[in-house]
Amino acid sequence: MAAPLTLLLIVAVTIRAALYRSSLADLISERVEVVSPLTAWKRVVEGLALLDLGVSPYSGDVFHETPLIIYLFHFLVDYAEITFMLADVITAVALYLTVKEYNKQVFRKQKYALEADRYPLDCLELIRSPKEMFYIPLKVAMFYLLNPFTILSCVAKSTCGLNNAVLSLFILATVKGNVLLSAIFLSLATYQSIYPLTLCASALLYLMQRQYIPVNFRRASFWWFIVQYAFMYLGSLFVIVCLSFFLLGSWDFLPSVYGFILSVPDLTPNIGLFWYFFAEMFEHFRLFFLCVFQINVFFYTIPLSIKLKEHPVFLIFMQLAVISIFKSYPTVGDIALYMAFLPMWSHLHRFLRNIFLVCCVLLTCSALFPVLWHLWIYAGSANSNFYYAITLLFNVAQILLVSDYFYAFLRREHHLCYGLYLKRKDGYEATLVLK
Amino acid sequence: MKILTLFSLFVTYSSGNSINIEENAGQFFSSGHTNNWAVLVCTSRFWFNYRHVANTLSVYRSVKRLGIPDSHIVLMLADDMACNHRNPKPATVFSHKNMELNVYGDDVEVDYRGYEVTVENFLRVLTGRLPPSTPRSKRLLSDDRSNILIYLTGHGGNGFLKFQDSEEISNVELADAFEQMWQKRRYNELLFIIDTCQGASMYERFYSPNLMALASSQVGEDSLSHQPDLAIGVHLMDRYTFYLLEFLEDIHPASKSNMNDLFKVCPKSQCVSTPGHRTDLFLRDPGSVLITDFFGSVRKIEITMETINLTDPIQQVELSPVNEELQIEKYSYADQLPVSEIIHQKPKQRDWHPPDGFILGLWTLILLVFFKTYGMKHLKHIF
Repeated sequence: MAAPLTLLLIVAVTIRAALYRSSLADLISERVEVVSPLTAWKRVVEGLALLDLGVSPYSGDVFHETPLIIYLFHFLVDYAEITFMLADVITAVALYLTVKEYNKQVFRKQKYALEADRYPLDCLELIRSPKEMFYIPLKVAMFYLLNPFTILSCVAKSTCGLNNAVLSLFILATVKGNVLLSAIFLSLATYQSIYPLTLCASALLYLMQRQYIPVNFRRASFWWFIVQYAFMYLGSLFVIVCLSFFLLGSWDFLPSVYGFILSVPDLTPNIGLFWYFFAEMFEHFRLFFLCVFQINVFFYTIPLSIKLKEHPVFLIFMQLAVISIFKSYPTVGDIALYMAFLPMWSHLHRFLRNIFLVCCVLLTCSALFPVLWHLWIYAGSANSNFYYAITLLFNVAQILLVSDYFYAFLRREHHLCYGLYLKRKDGYEATLVLK
Repeated sequence: MKILTLFSLFVTYSSGNSINIEENAGQFFSSGHTNNWAVLVCTSRFWFNYRHVANTLSVYRSVKRLGIPDSHIVLMLADDMACNHRNPKPATVFSHKNMELNVYGDDVEVDYRGYEVTVENFLRVLTGRLPPSTPRSKRLLSDDRSNILIYLTGHGGNGFLKFQDSEEISNVELADAFEQMWQKRRYNELLFIIDTCQGASMYERFYSPNLMALASSQVGEDSLSHQPDLAIGVHLMDRYTFYLLEFLEDIHPASKSNMNDLFKVCPKSQCVSTPGHRTDLFLRDPGSVLITDFFGSVRKIEITMETINLTDPIQQVELSPVNEELQIEKYSYADQLPVSEIIHQKPKQRDWHPPDGFILGLWTLILLVFFKTYGMKHLKHIF
């Protein structure tokens, strides 16, 4: 499978290089849907310029990326385009390897379950075969690389691409079972934006199941593993934060990066839910609603991990989706990452109910974003309500997509336990409802 | 005999005259200005603000009557009352009821009309920063020997004046504009009159020299309108400007009335509000400032056959660049751009480097993780 992957990589790199050379690059790098105050490239350049002038890059509300990004781009600022293309390539290759490894796991578990005769007889058509799963890794890589969102994010040189690379390396390390690397990449991802903290639970679940540690609160080995992982994770986070302190010699990156993400002072419109609310909110209630919105991101971790404790990779997908929708400054680059996972669950297509609606809404909203922005800002005939309506609709469509896949996944699991053609007590066909 | 008396009379007359000429020569240049300008602004639109347009036009009329030509007047009217379709007497703007006085006349030249009257345009006129395509009639082409009269009227509040019901100019902006004018030597002396509610707040922030300001009401007071005309249906004038117009109607180009008389215009009994004035920034005594120094364009002409020795007062001014110690207060231009430094700018260098300890620490950690992951046995393949 190396040859098709290489071909795919070459095609993707060509598209991005072509777009870099065209005049669209400047246009795209200013779109608010693609870059946010956290990830914009011109802010990185501005931060580096401030540093050359002898001023801390965090002075003034310009630069909100971490010091390691400063270090990275201090040497690579002339080769920025190659860096971002390389980040996309790394992400795609990591996702490819992840899915290959995961397929092996899935197939192995299925084989054991079949041998143990745990599936009812009529759901044999739900069993996955290696033949149908053969092209999934390539499809995942293709979904990531050729997704217009990813291409836009790469051409805009948004640092979201780097974040995606670190996250996909984390997922690769987790799925391969390497505890240390998984902890280190997760701490890098958390260091850059706080929200990947929620992926801790899914990584823990997966690694424990891979090492055959029972996921049971009363077992000592469970807690010991958690302690080990937490130590590695927190230790590496601490080391990275201290290193960042030594880079610039001051702690003022902490309020500029983490304070900025958590307290959302910049209300530039984006595709998220925060800006409109906080623009119209009274100061008195601001802290309260800030807490509500931020807790909303972290809140789904525990219930989802309890429900999906048998299926940690699906849990990772759900968590990534929840982060991309509810984070304080989302961009289309975040969406591209979790959408890359969709071919992994293509066997669920017979249980998906809303997929046509979701596709239509997502496409329409993506097309309407620039239109309503132009009408609001340039033509002056619309206002922020129009743009926020499209934002809301876009997020509702994403939530619908994610919950649809959740329903389909759980329904498949249910059928695998209880049989495909379920009958109610009076013999009629039953319908399954997600409560 | 008759020739002798005539001759003696002539000698005494001429000698008497020559003494007068010598004295007058001193007074000749006492005001220091050689030309007059007026910027008259009405900032309100809509029919019910008829009185603001009438205010401005009445000052325009007085100023023009006393000699300032249209080329030296910048008249800004935010709305057209004369040709408004609610005007029962088109092409007229009256200032007295029963249509006694039409201030619109046949020769009104409005330079900024309608939506052109904005804060930006007003400030650009004052500071002279207009695009090159602006015609001369829309420019304030004053120099450092100009006396400028600035008259503003409209709706205002504490520290601001409303333009066109959509934007405001604040007293700080106005003070800064006047400072720009001073630094660019755009006026010799400036008289600022404002007829709005709480008008005194607009001159509170002035800090440039040679400014005198009058306002129709103090902070916290409203300026009231004078009288409605029942045929036209709106109030025709504001009280302060009404009495100002009456005062100015008595002024003629040769009159010697001074500013102290102007301060007495419209006392509280007539105006209901308390007019205010500010003279602390003005270098001359207000009692020595003639009304026609600002409201008219009075050229002093004395016909004489004598030769006059233009003595000290004039020479001192001319010699001042040489004898610097004679000058008490020295004004200087603001610092210009450091052009020489910009021209010889060095190329930008990257000055910042990450500290060595950081690089060392980071790469050590990366190497450690690498070897932990892939096992120490790989070391032997590398080395």
